[in-house]
Amino acid sequence: MPLPVLEVNGLAMRFRTSEVFKNVSFSVTRGETLGLFGKSGSGKTTIGRCIVGLEKPTGGEILVQGVDILKMEKKEFRKLRPKIQMIFQHPETSLDPRMKAFENLIEPLKLHSGLKRDALMKRGEELAELTGLRPEHLARYPGHLSGGEIQRIVLARIMALSPDFIVADEPTSMLDVSVQAQILRLMQKLQRETGVSYLLISHDLEVLKKVCHRIAYLENGTITSIENINRGIKI
Amino acid sequence: MSLLEIKDLSIEFPAGENTVKAVSHVSFEIREGETFGIIGESGSGKSVIGLALLRLLPANAKVSGTVFFQGQDLLSLKPSELRKIRGKKISLMPQNPAGALNPVLKNGLQMEDVFEGNRAEKKEGMKKALKLMKQLFLRNPEKLCTLYPHQLSGGMRQRLTACISLSFEPEILIADEPTKGLDPEAKAGAVDIFNKIKTEYEKTMLLITHDLDLALEVCDQIAVMYAGEIVELDLASKVLSTPLHPYTKGLIRAQPRNGLVPLSGQSPSRIKLPEGCFFHERCRYSGFECSRKHPEIKNYKGGLIRCHFLSLK
Repeated sequence: MPLPVLEVNGLAMRFRTSEVFKNVSFSVTRGETLGLFGKSGSGKTTIGRCIVGLEKPTGGEILVQGVDILKMEKKEFRKLRPKIQMIFQHPETSLDPRMKAFENLIEPLKLHSGLKRDALMKRGEELAELTGLRPEHLARYPGHLSGGEIQRIVLARIMALSPDFIVADEPTSMLDVSVQAQILRLMQKLQRETGVSYLLISHDLEVLKKVCHRIAYLENGTITSIENINRGIKI
Repeated sequence: MSLLEIKDLSIEFPAGENTVKAVSHVSFEIREGETFGIIGESGSGKSVIGLALLRLLPANAKVSGTVFFQGQDLLSLKPSELRKIRGKKISLMPQNPAGALNPVLKNGLQMEDVFEGNRAEKKEGMKKALKLMKQLFLRNPEKLCTLYPHQLSGGMRQRLTACISLSFEPEILIADEPTKGLDPEAKAGAVDIFNKIKTEYEKTMLLITHDLDLALEVCDQIAVMYAGEIVELDLASKVLSTPLHPYTKGLIRAQPRNGLVPLSGQSPSRIKLPEGCFFHERCRYSGFECSRKHPEIKNYKGGLIRCHFLSLK
């Protein structure tokens, strides 16, 4: 049995008096897509935000490569952070509106890779090609791109840091049906090529059944079952 | 009898030295009591049509063609005459209910704002609105009026905008992407609302959506748009169960339950549209003629279709 890329044990979250979720446990192995299904307001997004360190849970542990990130020093966590990425639900708010698409795309490389200008540009172009972006898209500002094009830039930007794990929070709920299929297939392609694992958060069970290896059902603040699907493409 | 007749509607936006052709020569009519759907992917020009009908587009938009409503061309009416129609005879339920509501005003005040006149008239209007809210499945509307928009769920906000749009009992309701971003439960609720508006209130509706399930449940007729023009128009059941145009077929195959097969390629640039059929670069049936000659829209088996491949059959 391979070591899970991510393991969540007994995660709990409470906002003042209301309990959002408790005793949430699951694990994700390399190259696996785990779906997280639940109704609006069930706490799916909060679980995702806890994993990438945007929220602090009130209980439980989140193990990345066997180390609990909740007990890590800030400095240590910052080093690990590029390996755990998140795709947000609203594509239009994911990019800096004042930067052109290509500048948005290479921003993480500038911050984390230490590459020089030429190498940086070359890597940026490779990533654009990997995610099916055309040169004309890269020269535009986010406000002049469609939702699908922005999600491609978000994916290219995330892949720049070669993450081990991506939390994808409703990545296609704001996209139309044909673009939804393109983005989900692109995510599968990236998984085949790089072995990245996904936690795919969605309220659309049909989508999850089509692309996930397993689906965790979140009901009444806890995971009630985890179903094997065997339809996704596992590495 | 047609209530709204759109003829040869074209909309362009200047973009630097170029022009973006958002809508090209669109014509259709909506009969009284009918629900007409426009489907197509983002950027196909659906929402622009809805806004153009009420002349809500930015001032730099170049609009040509005619939009006849009760014998008047909406595109050439004086602003004072148009104000008598906007919100009263033709109402728009905008995309993104969260953005349509003022976040710093309580819901009740926003509903009351719709009614003109003195206090008594506003009070009378609110009475009707509260009744409407109850009918549109909003429980405890009096309490809801004391809350702010952020205190409502996406589905409730959508019902509230539906109430505001319907409070003047318009003759036509234009609903722009009413189910975008809603969860399945709220989507099912939206289907119930639109069916109720259609059957009980007998309203004429123009439903702009990319939600094929909603379109099938609610619409009588559907126009499929691609790159700013109508490529297929027929009865909703025919378009969605036995689609003829390769683009419509592609949309249906892209649904998760039909295999999640993406359409290859991307929509063409609207500044420099390709020669021939706008869809030919992505079309699996594309032939020699498709890349050379732009297809005209033609009658085919009772509907309208814009495709060389089908006209050759």
